[in-house]
Amino acid sequence: MNDLPAYLVTGLGTGCGYALIGSGLVAVYRVTRVVNFAQGAFAVVGAMCASSFLTALPHGLAEPAAVVVAAIVGLLVGIVALATNPQSALIVTLGLSVFAYAVEVLVWGDQPRSFAGLPGAVTIGDARVQTHYLLIIAVTLPVFAALALFFTRTDTGKALTACASNPYAARVIGIDVRRMGLLAFMIGGALGGLAGVLVTPVQQITFDTDVALIVNGFAAAILGGLTRPAVTLVGGLLLGVTQALVAGYGNAAHQTDIALGLMIAVMIWRAARRPAVETV
Amino acid sequence: MKIVFVVAAALALALPAFLDGKQLGIYILAGLAAMVTVGLSLLMGHAGQISLGQASFYAIGAYTAGLLSVHDTPPVLALVAAPAVAATFAAVVGIGVLRLRGHYLAFATLAMQLILLSVLSQSAWAGGAIGLQGIPRFSIGGFELDEDIQYAYLTLAALAVVLLVAHNLVRSRPGRGLRALATSEVAAAASGVPVGRYRLAVFTLSAAFAGLAGGIYAFYLGYLGPGSFPVLLSIEYVVMAVVGGLGTLSGGVVGAVAIVLLVQVLNELGTSPGMPSYAPNVLSYAVYGLLLVVVVLWLPRGIVPALRRGERS
Repeated sequence: MNDLPAYLVTGLGTGCGYALIGSGLVAVYRVTRVVNFAQGAFAVVGAMCASSFLTALPHGLAEPAAVVVAAIVGLLVGIVALATNPQSALIVTLGLSVFAYAVEVLVWGDQPRSFAGLPGAVTIGDARVQTHYLLIIAVTLPVFAALALFFTRTDTGKALTACASNPYAARVIGIDVRRMGLLAFMIGGALGGLAGVLVTPVQQITFDTDVALIVNGFAAAILGGLTRPAVTLVGGLLLGVTQALVAGYGNAAHQTDIALGLMIAVMIWRAARRPAVETV
Repeated sequence: MKIVFVVAAALALALPAFLDGKQLGIYILAGLAAMVTVGLSLLMGHAGQISLGQASFYAIGAYTAGLLSVHDTPPVLALVAAPAVAATFAAVVGIGVLRLRGHYLAFATLAMQLILLSVLSQSAWAGGAIGLQGIPRFSIGGFELDEDIQYAYLTLAALAVVLLVAHNLVRSRPGRGLRALATSEVAAAASGVPVGRYRLAVFTLSAAFAGLAGGIYAFYLGYLGPGSFPVLLSIEYVVMAVVGGLGTLSGGVVGAVAIVLLVQVLNELGTSPGMPSYAPNVLSYAVYGLLLVVVVLWLPRGIVPALRRGERS
């Protein structure tokens, strides 16, 4: 039995989800220096909305609509979070994500939810893998390419990057830093929502799944110091594959422990290497 | 201020005699939460660090006391071991984790709690996901504490010890060093404050407080499970510390008592007839979330410092 290719595909699929959440964190952090704890809640909102929309809308319409809702939620979170300084904003977004629990339980109940994704399975190596994992990968990679183009080639993207590297100078040349911050939160919301929509067919979502999602997304983003989307993608994929391999060859119960341990190790390693950067 | 303190202490001493069983339970939980929050408030206010995993030290204390006493260790020893083990764990973890600051530390401590919960729920020696049952009642030299009111006074005594230790720490030379550390690490280091050592000391001390509270919790309830220490509990402690006022000892106590009482009122409201089954949870999530946001945005120093300022002006 050669299960390795199958483990790799499922790992890359879940890794894409982490990378999307991580890149949402990066989009917000780069521009506003806020670590947005509500990033996991965006994914939950996106997933829950998609499960509701699918009762009325066909596939292909319901999912983008859910992503739009998540982007709007991102904007709302941004409006509140940007009313304070970046350090306090972590606690504010923590508060908002707990508040989101209340709304989510009220609207969708406290039971796990899921919906059908791409049906069928393909044979990879000697094992069968749900086709949906391939869809996740096929959607995520172009999204990252588009993000890279957006940040480097468009005026708005360049303005966002300018705010990231020097907010003062950006303001001097006439960029509205606050509006850019809100835009970053919207992008973060959309990316989080996309992650939720994509991953839910293969992994059920409960209102409090956001903690696991945000921690894994943070772990993915940490590799690039919370500022580099491309490294975040690599981080997310590595994390997903590691978890899939641990689950496949070792004990499934320990997959998150190992991923979290790795995250702590990476953070400590980075802090030891460049202490000044880590001072926030 | 002194009068307020004396009145509060007298009230806390007299109160258990007038409470019935259920109210005593709330009293005890509020006292335990206050112990954890005082430690967290020191860590956040004086060392300037956020811990999103404070409930893990509470859990370690509880499991230490529970496991030891299930295996026939005298309860007094088990209760002393609870803060000691929690503090040792914090010291060992802290050597690595405390190199991190701000949001990095927040996520590292959150990850620490997730790992701990996962390990506890998979370990047969800790009772696994079902938990640890049949923890004997607390006893000192043959005198067994089997009534709630006795646990209420045990909690109060432990809280007094916690406050005394914390008070002396804040007033001491290291305490002043810590306050300098919270405002500016560079300036503190330049003035000769051993930044790393002090930060680790506060982290360890806050874990010891939480461990002691956890130990009492284990004896009081007689049952422990990984589900008793969710991530949300750690967030609750942050809410209590922030609402009460970071870096003030009375703020930790006021925040904890206020939130526990508030949640109790919400529970009453949520379980009243005609309410859906999820109402208590929804209400408490909404209130935690809103409180955290409102206090950080409009009352950034918390209730107690705000009241004090009002008193002076």
